[in-house]
Amino acid sequence: MQKKTNYLFIILAIIVSLFIVGILSLSFGSVNLSPIKVLKILFFGEEVKQSLHIIIKQIRLPRIILSFLVGAGLSIAGVVFQGVIRNPMVDPYIVGISAGAGTGVTLAIVLNLQISFLFFSTIPLMAFFGSLLTVYIVYNLAKTKDKVPVVTFLLAGVAVGFVLNAVMSFLMVLGTRDIHKIVYWLLGSLSTASWQDIRLMLPYFIVGNFIVIFFLKDLNLILLGETDAQHLGVNVERSKKYLIVGASLITASVVSVSGSIGFIGLIVPHIARMLVGPDHKKLFPTAAILGGIFLIISDDLARILLAPMEVPVGIITALTGGPYFIYLLRKTKKEIW
Amino acid sequence: MLKLDNIEFSYEKQKILHDINFHLEKNEFIGIIGPNGSGKSTLLKNISKLLDPDKGFIYLDSNLLNDYSYKDLAKKMAVVPQDTDVNFNFSVYDLVMMGRNPYQDRWGRVKEDDKRKVQEALELTDTLKFKDKSIQNLSGGERQRVIIARAIVQEPELLLLDEPTASLDINYQRNIFDLVSDLNEELEMSVLAVSHDLNLISQYCERLILLHQGKIHSIGKVEDVITKENISEVYNTDVDIKYNPITERPYVIIIPRQRGSQKIVDKDFHIHLICGGGTGKDIMNLLNDLDIGVSTGVLNRGDSDWEEAKRLNYEVVEIPPFAPIDEEAVKENEQKMKKANLIIISDTPFGWGNLDNIKSLANFKNKDILFMVNNDLEQRDFTEGKFTELYKHIKKNNNVNEIKSHKELCNFINSKYEEISYD
Repeated sequence: MQKKTNYLFIILAIIVSLFIVGILSLSFGSVNLSPIKVLKILFFGEEVKQSLHIIIKQIRLPRIILSFLVGAGLSIAGVVFQGVIRNPMVDPYIVGISAGAGTGVTLAIVLNLQISFLFFSTIPLMAFFGSLLTVYIVYNLAKTKDKVPVVTFLLAGVAVGFVLNAVMSFLMVLGTRDIHKIVYWLLGSLSTASWQDIRLMLPYFIVGNFIVIFFLKDLNLILLGETDAQHLGVNVERSKKYLIVGASLITASVVSVSGSIGFIGLIVPHIARMLVGPDHKKLFPTAAILGGIFLIISDDLARILLAPMEVPVGIITALTGGPYFIYLLRKTKKEIW
Repeated sequence: MLKLDNIEFSYEKQKILHDINFHLEKNEFIGIIGPNGSGKSTLLKNISKLLDPDKGFIYLDSNLLNDYSYKDLAKKMAVVPQDTDVNFNFSVYDLVMMGRNPYQDRWGRVKEDDKRKVQEALELTDTLKFKDKSIQNLSGGERQRVIIARAIVQEPELLLLDEPTASLDINYQRNIFDLVSDLNEELEMSVLAVSHDLNLISQYCERLILLHQGKIHSIGKVEDVITKENISEVYNTDVDIKYNPITERPYVIIIPRQRGSQKIVDKDFHIHLICGGGTGKDIMNLLNDLDIGVSTGVLNRGDSDWEEAKRLNYEVVEIPPFAPIDEEAVKENEQKMKKANLIIISDTPFGWGNLDNIKSLANFKNKDILFMVNNDLEQRDFTEGKFTELYKHIKKNNNVNEIKSHKELCNFINSKYEEISYD
């Protein structure tokens, strides 16, 4: 059980960590700078060479901000889906979002589609609409009368995911010369991050978060079971619907710019839950910031490990997150779910 | 407070509830009982708006249940479920605070008023001492009290309980129902409680509803509903009703089936029983469980064995109350004995009035006679030694087996039955 002071301390500590990690990440890279210098450039407008200015503000800064948004978004969506479905094994991709986005992207690459809409490029657009379309299909498949039973929802998501994965594999076999490009996208990467990406995803990301926050209190009650929640005054079906829509919107916005980065949405909610308990009012900010930090660090590793070659960040998150998660499970040994 | 008007509910075309009509007055405590599958839980789910009835109306304070928003309903009605397992690590305090949900805004800000009410509920349910503990670390009974505290802070006018003590030890069963009874009397909550424990609920509620196959079989005061006829019919089992000496409420006693190794369902196999004064009841029930055809006599009308034999639809050779056995009855009785494969004599005492029952035995030299001898023969003899003398004579000349227990009786009947069916 976490006391209030304890929670404030934790949230303060992770905010400070986020700041430190952010500054350090800005300094690392092909051109190493001192963190102090980075601070001066960022906040005190120190005059530097044009190239350095571009590296910090046009290349590294958007990449770090995007890393944060993606990590936070996946963690928030993980918290919401795990809560709504009341199952610890659920991640944000469970409703078939990554498969939907992947299929959209694969289609775009294989068919060599060139569409643009309000300056946005083909691949993020296809990923975004691919994922939203999938959620829409899954949601309506699971809907019986006016209810969406979570188990049906889960099964529909898994089933649609399988189908889409098959479609994707088929497309990849057809367009063998593009396989490298597709696989790279599927593994997830932030290497092309730009302010443009942030502009693309941010509106949906914000709207999704607003929806989720609006129904956050209900999520606590839904954890007790849908029946109990209803007896305590929650319109369960409505809250569930909005929470799913909100989390899907967040996930779709994230996937469209980063590809499907695995594991964060599964494990960060668990780590946050170990820290602050199951109350979503505490869990939401904790998981969001932790997820952001986790992805920033992972992306640093992706940049640095085999520099100048970049490792897809999805590989890093899985390789570091997995063992760490197992370590936590063994160490705490108490039930975290 | 609550009114159900002709409720009907089906699940996949199977009618689960029909013709449900009743009225719960303000501050009343009604219990709902009924066998498994009689529709108790479904009824409660209809009342708590988890399920919508297919037909009929439910009124809560003269408004239709369906016109309440979930939030408003949660202020009027609280539900204590059967399964209170909480899978998450919430503290007792936080969990009880969730009961304030219908009074809080979208952001769940906690007001002083909320805190005070939670504190009071924790005190009332005696759960204050573990308010910071995780709900998962409590025992079933403690957890149920916490859930009741959560219901209390909803400040409901109506409390629904769905088998609130289903998996609890008796100390907790009492504890929980005492608490509910306090809420009913002191906080003036109306209570509607489903329970499969007839005896527990009967000690507490004012009125009972007995459900049978989705219908109200009977409704009314506890002693009018808990009757031998009602319970035997609905639960299809033999029971007896006694009264709890403290509460003076009815108490259902189950009568276990006497163990036989095998059921004898052969109408040609027939036993004649000589008994009286209640000594034959157990034997009759035993034989009934074995599905054996039984005749009995001679018995006085009004004798408790006579009543039991009538209840079980046995052939009875009967005479008026307190009358001695007459010639005609003896003849009839001997005919029955002649037909029987076995004659059993219970531990009944013998006086001048029923001595003829023993005398008749002398005529059946080849029949197996089973004589229950748990009581001393002399103590059963109210004929100045005549009975004992007669018994010794029969024992010498007839096929008499002295039997001490029902088990022995069973074994004998079984072996006799096998012997006959192999012939």
